[in-house]
Amino acid sequence: MSSTFWKRFARNRLALGGLVFLVVLAVVVLLAPVLYPGDPFRIVAQPFLPPFGDYLLGTDSLGRDIAAGIVHGGRTSLLIGIAATSAALLIGTLLGALAGFYRGRVDSLLMRFTEFFQTIPTFLFAIVLVAIMSPSLASVTIAIVVISWPPIVRLVRAEFISLCEREFVQASIVLGMSDREIIFRQVLPNAFSPIIVAGSLMVATAILTEAALAFLGLGDPNAISWGYMIGSGRSFLRDAWWLCAIPGVMILLTVLSINFVGEGLNDALNPRLRHS
Amino acid sequence: MRLLPSATAFRFIGRRLLNAVPVLLGIAVLNFLLMQLAPGDAVSVLAGESGGAPPEYIEQLRRQYGLDQPILVQLALYMKNLLSFNLGHSFRHGMPVLDLILDRMGPTLLLMGSAFFFSLLSGVLLGVTAAVAVNTWRDRAISVLSVITYATPLFWMGLMLILLFSVRLEWFPTSGMEDVVAFYEGWDRVRDIARHLVLPMVTLSLFYMAVYARMMRASMLEQRDMDYVLTARAKGLTERKITYRHVLRNALLPVVTMAGVQVGALLGGSVVIESVFAWPGLGQLAFQSLFARDFNLLLGIFFLSACMVIVVNLVVDLIYMALDPRMKIG
Amino acid sequence: MTDQKKRMGLLRGLAIAGACLWGAVAFAQERGGTLVQLTFPEPPSLAPYANTSLAVPQVSSKIYEGLLEYDFSLQPQPGLARSWEVSEDGKSITFKLQEGVTFHDGAPFTSEDVRFTFMEVLKKHHPRGMGFLAVVQDVEAPDAHTAIFRLSSPAPYLMMALSAADSPVLPRHIFSEGDLRSHPNANLPVGTGPFKLTEWRRGEFIRLDRNDNYWREGKPYLDRVVVRFVPDASTRTALLEKGEAHLAGFSTVPFSDAKRLANVPTLDVSTRGYQMFSLVEGITFNTSRAPFDNKTVRQALSYAVDRQFIVDNIYFGFASVSTGQIHSNFAASGLYTSDVRDYNVADRVEIANRMLDEAGFPRNADGIRFETTLDTTAAYGEFYQRAAEVIQQNFAEVGVKLNLRSEDLPTFLNRVFTEYDTDMNQAGLGNLSDPVLGAHRALHSSAQRKGSVFMNNSHWSTPETDALMDAAAIETDPEKRKEIYHELQRLAAEEAPIIWLVNVNYPTVVNKKVHDAVSDAQGLHGSLVNAWIEK
Repeated sequence: MSSTFWKRFARNRLALGGLVFLVVLAVVVLLAPVLYPGDPFRIVAQPFLPPFGDYLLGTDSLGRDIAAGIVHGGRTSLLIGIAATSAALLIGTLLGALAGFYRGRVDSLLMRFTEFFQTIPTFLFAIVLVAIMSPSLASVTIAIVVISWPPIVRLVRAEFISLCEREFVQASIVLGMSDREIIFRQVLPNAFSPIIVAGSLMVATAILTEAALAFLGLGDPNAISWGYMIGSGRSFLRDAWWLCAIPGVMILLTVLSINFVGEGLNDALNPRLRHS
Repeated sequence: MRLLPSATAFRFIGRRLLNAVPVLLGIAVLNFLLMQLAPGDAVSVLAGESGGAPPEYIEQLRRQYGLDQPILVQLALYMKNLLSFNLGHSFRHGMPVLDLILDRMGPTLLLMGSAFFFSLLSGVLLGVTAAVAVNTWRDRAISVLSVITYATPLFWMGLMLILLFSVRLEWFPTSGMEDVVAFYEGWDRVRDIARHLVLPMVTLSLFYMAVYARMMRASMLEQRDMDYVLTARAKGLTERKITYRHVLRNALLPVVTMAGVQVGALLGGSVVIESVFAWPGLGQLAFQSLFARDFNLLLGIFFLSACMVIVVNLVVDLIYMALDPRMKIG
Repeated sequence: MTDQKKRMGLLRGLAIAGACLWGAVAFAQERGGTLVQLTFPEPPSLAPYANTSLAVPQVSSKIYEGLLEYDFSLQPQPGLARSWEVSEDGKSITFKLQEGVTFHDGAPFTSEDVRFTFMEVLKKHHPRGMGFLAVVQDVEAPDAHTAIFRLSSPAPYLMMALSAADSPVLPRHIFSEGDLRSHPNANLPVGTGPFKLTEWRRGEFIRLDRNDNYWREGKPYLDRVVVRFVPDASTRTALLEKGEAHLAGFSTVPFSDAKRLANVPTLDVSTRGYQMFSLVEGITFNTSRAPFDNKTVRQALSYAVDRQFIVDNIYFGFASVSTGQIHSNFAASGLYTSDVRDYNVADRVEIANRMLDEAGFPRNADGIRFETTLDTTAAYGEFYQRAAEVIQQNFAEVGVKLNLRSEDLPTFLNRVFTEYDTDMNQAGLGNLSDPVLGAHRALHSSAQRKGSVFMNNSHWSTPETDALMDAAAIETDPEKRKEIYHELQRLAAEEAPIIWLVNVNYPTVVNKKVHDAVSDAQGLHGSLVNAWIEK
C-alpha cells in the first residue's frame, strides 16, 4: 500500500519537485539560528544594497540583511501555516464527523454554528480578530484557525454522510460497535484522503492570509515574516524591486510547492482516479 | 434542466427565508458581543484625531452616543432598532448607517459582480479547455497559469498590474471609479467607469479563476469515467455532445458550491483590492469603521453580509437542484 | 546629427530666455481649471468646530474662513477681520470686520456670527477650543462690523489661533437652530470661503466649486477643487506622477516617494506651509514606572537613539533631529533654542552604556540590562513602525531588550492615555501655532488628565517648569517670552521625560502647472484662494 502510494506520488514530477523544495525549505528554516544567528531585524549595512553583492539577497530600506529576513521569515510563515492548519483540521474534522454521523439535531445545531462563522467575510473577520487580540504570532494563528475550519466541517460532514450509507458502516452498527469506535476506526480513516488534500491547500491559504495581514500592518511586530517584508518594502517598489520581489517569490514558490504536493497526494490517494 | 414546479419552489424558498430570520438575529447578537471585546471606543478615536481633547468633552460625547450605558442596554436598543429595520447612526460619519452602506452598494456590487462572473466564466472555460485537451501543451499551460495566479498574493498582483498597465503602458487609469476632473455624463460615464473597472476586476478575479479552472478540470476528468458517460458512449452519442451535454453539467456541481463560498469571501477579499485601486466599496468602509470603532456601521455591514450569504446559499441550493440529474427523475 | 543637436541647443536657449521673460512678467494668473488634491485619510466630517483631525481643514478651510490668516513668518494677516487692535492691558481685542461678505447661501456675514461662533460653538464644542478659549469671557458686537473680545487675562497665543483651521467662522442663522452635535449642516457646510461644497461621494471625492460671490475681487482663480481619497500610498504617488492629481501634503505621499518625486520634472516638492502644525515625534516614558522614574536611565536611552539615521532612512530628509518639545520652526519667532543638553554627540553610545552602569543596571550574562515594551500603532503610517524597529536596535546596542507592541489606534489610545498601561509609547505632538497651544499639553502638570488623549502622559512635571509655562501664557513682551521658553527647553531636555526624535517637515508635492497652491503658513490648511493653473 505505502509503496504503491509512493510510486503514484513520485510519478507526478511536479509533486516530487514541490516536496523537494519544501524539505529544503524546512531544513533551511530550521537551521535559521545557525545560518543567520541573532535578530533578523538587526541593521547590518547600508540600506538598499542590491542582491548578489556583499549580501546574498541585498539589504532593505533600513540596511537589514534580506537573506536573514527570508530565512527567519520563512520560520514564521511556515509555523503559522502549519499550526493554523493543524488546529483548523482538528476542529473541523471533529465537528464535521459529529454532524455527519449523528445528523438530526446535532447536525443542524452544528451547522448553524458553522454558518455563523461563514456569514462574516473571511478576511475581514480575521482582521477584526487580530485587532481585538492585538497582533502577535498567537493572535494571527488563532484568527486564521477561526476563518479556516468551517469549510473543513462541511467537507468532513459530506464525506461522513456518504460513507455512513456504505455497507461496512451499516455492518459495524449492526455489530454493536460503539459510536466512538465507528467514527474513529471505521469512517474517519476512509475520509482521510480528501481531508489531507484540503489540509495541504489550507497551509498555502494560511501563508497567504498571514502575508496579507502583515501587509496591512497587522503582523507580530517582533517576528519577521514574508508578508511583513513585502509590506515594508512596497514603498520602494520602484527603486528597489528586490525588497518585495524576493519575499514575493518565496511565497509563490512555497504555495506552489504545497499545491503540487497536494495534487500529488490527490493522485496517490484518490481512489476514483486510481483505476484510471 | 427543468426547474422545480413553481409552487414547491416557492414553498421551499419561503421556508428557507423564514428559517433564516432567527439565524440572522442570533448572528446580530453574536456580532454585537464580538465587537464589545475590542478595547477602546469611537469617542477616544475622535478625540485622538482631534489631537487631544479634555475629559469633559469625551464624557459629553460618550453620553450623546449612548456609550456610557451598560452593554446589555446598548444591545437591547440595537436589537430593537434592527427589528424595525433601522441599522442605526454612524458616530463617525454623522449619518445613518443605511445611507452610508447604500452609497457604497453600487460600486461594491459592480466590482464584486463583474469579478464574480469574470472569474466563473474564464475559470470554467479554462478548466474545460484543459480537460478536453488533457495532457497536451494547452492543458499544461493552463495548469501553470492557474497555479501561479493561485499562489500570488493579490495585493502584490494589484501593485504590479498598476505599474505595468497604468504607469508604464498608460492603458488604464491607476485608480478610482471614474475620472473626477472630467465628470462624464451618460454613455461617456459608462465607458469611463468600465475603463476604471478593468484592473481591479481582473486582480480580484485571478485567484478564483484559478480555483475554478482547477476544480473544473478535475471534476470533468472524474465525470468522464462515470458509468453514465460509458452508457452514453455506447448509445453512440458524439464525444462533443457527451462532453457538453452531460459531463459539463455534472462537473459544474462542485464549482457551484465553490462559487457560493466565493461570494461570501469576495466582500472581505476586496478590502485589499479596494485599497490598492481606491475603489469606493464596502470592504474599505468596513475596514475603516473597525479602526474607528464605528460599530454601528461595522455591524451594519456584517449584518448585510450575513443576509447576502444566506440568500446566496439558497440560490446555490436552487441551482444545485436544477443541475443535479437526480432531480430530473422526480 | 550635429545639426540637429545645434538646433536643439538653440531651442533650449530660446526656451530659457522665454522662461526668464515669463518670470519678468511675474506669471499673470489665469482663471479656470480643476485642481485635484489628494488627502488621506478621508475627513470623517466637514465640521471643523467639532472634529479637528488633520484631514478636516484640508477641505473645510476652502469653505469656512477665519478672522485671520498667517504669512510665512507667522504674522497675522487680514482674513474676515480687516484690522485689529489689542488694548494696553492685553485684555481686550477689537476686530474690524470685512464689509460686503456673504455666506454661500447669500446671507450677510456680521459680528453676530463672530460672537455666536466663539461663545456658542467653539468655546463649548471645539475639542481644543475649550482650552484655548477659556480666557475669552465675552465677545461684544457693538455694530455689524465690529467684534470685541473680552479676556480674563492677556493671552498672546490667542492671536495665533484664529485661522480657518482652528477657529472657523460659522453662519449663526444656520447653526443656532437645532442640536449642534447632530446638525444636518455638519456635512453640508455653508461658509464665506472661496469654494463651496457641491458633492461629497464618500470613499471617493469631495467636489468644491468656485464661489462666484467671493468677497475678494476676482478670486479665486480656480473653477473647481476636487479632493480625492485614495487609500493606497503607492497609488497616490502614481496619480501625482501621471498628473491625474496636482497637490498632496502631510503624510499623504510617503516620505520615500516624495524624495523620488522631487526628481520628476513635472513636480515640485517643498516643505513650506507647516509652521502652524510643526509636528515633533517622540517616545514618551511612563515616568511613574521603574526604571523610567530614574532620570539617568531616561537620559541614557535618549543618548542611545540614532536620530540622524531615522531622519535619513525613515523620513528621507523630510525631518530634522529634534532637541526638545518645541519644533525648530519656532526659530523664526525666536522661541526655539538648540542650546540644551545635546543627546546627539559622536560618543553617545558609550555615554549611554556608562550611564546605565552608573544607574545600577549592569549587563547580565547575555548582555541584557533590562527588558521593556514600546507601545506603537500602525495607524499613523508605516514610518512609526520603522522608527520603532530602529529604536529596538539602538536599545539593543546598549543592552536594553525592547519588545514592540503594535495595536490599532483605539486600543493604543486606550492603553496609553486612559489605562496608562505602558512602559513607553510612541506619539507625535503638533506644536500648532504657539507653544501654549501645542507644547504645554505635553509638559504641564494640568495636562495630566486620565482619559484625555495626546496630553501629558509621561506623568512628569516640576513646579518650576509649570511656573515657566504659566508665565509664558500671559507674557506679552516677545523678548521675555523667548527667555522663558529657552529656559523651559533646557530644563525639559535635562529631565528627558520624552525621547524627542525628529521635527517633521512634511513634503508638499505640487504639479508645476499649479502656482501658489501654498501661499502662506497655513499651507494645505489654507483656502487655495490664490492658486491657479497654467494652461
